Amino acid sequence: MSHIVTIKTRLTDAAALAAACRRLRLAEPVSGTTQLYSASAQGLIVQLPGWLYPVVVDTAKGEVQYDNFEGCWGSQSELDSLLQAYAVEKARIEARRGGHSVSEQALPDGSIKLTIQVGGGSVSAIGGAA
Amino acid sequence: MSATGQVIEVTIDPKGQSTVQTRGFIGPSCRQASWFLEQALGERTGEQLTPEFHQQESTPQRLTQRP
Repeated sequence: MSHIVTIKTRLTDAAALAAACRRLRLAEPVSGTTQLYSASAQGLIVQLPGWLYPVVVDTAKGEVQYDNFEGCWGSQSELDSLLQAYAVEKARIEARRGGHSVSEQALPDGSIKLTIQVGGGSVSAIGGAA
Repeated sequence: MSATGQVIEVTIDPKGQSTVQTRGFIGPSCRQASWFLEQALGERTGEQLTPEFHQQESTPQRLTQRP
């Protein structure tokens, strides 16, 4: 091991967001403006399961706007799943772009591990969604 | 393991936070190798260097005999 870096996910890639929605079997993101209770938001709109209002992703800022009224109008775990799926898809896209091979593994704690072979060149999945 | 033995592992936890680890790199080259991923995924919140990071790449020793 050489170094370890922790990263807070920022949603900046529309293609990775669309892939994350497909992975979670959600409707594709739609570009537009929508109402979040008392405020409106513009960006890529994603409807999460059980959420009263959609979440809106601003890819220019990498931020997600939402109003789930502290969990009463939608479970935080659904948004967390979207963030996780986005990070997985974004990492896979970037690895492929760099010509590296990727394997994917679902871990018992709910994490997803990607192993990127530098200079590999193909993609496979182990125990996780392709 | 790749032909070069160099691997980047990305673990994404259930809340969407990522941890990027490099293996098989000697010295600071690991930073260059994983930079594209770190930058693409978001904002760095921490970094930990491992002993390999401080190792120098070995250069072959050559002995020459003078006539």
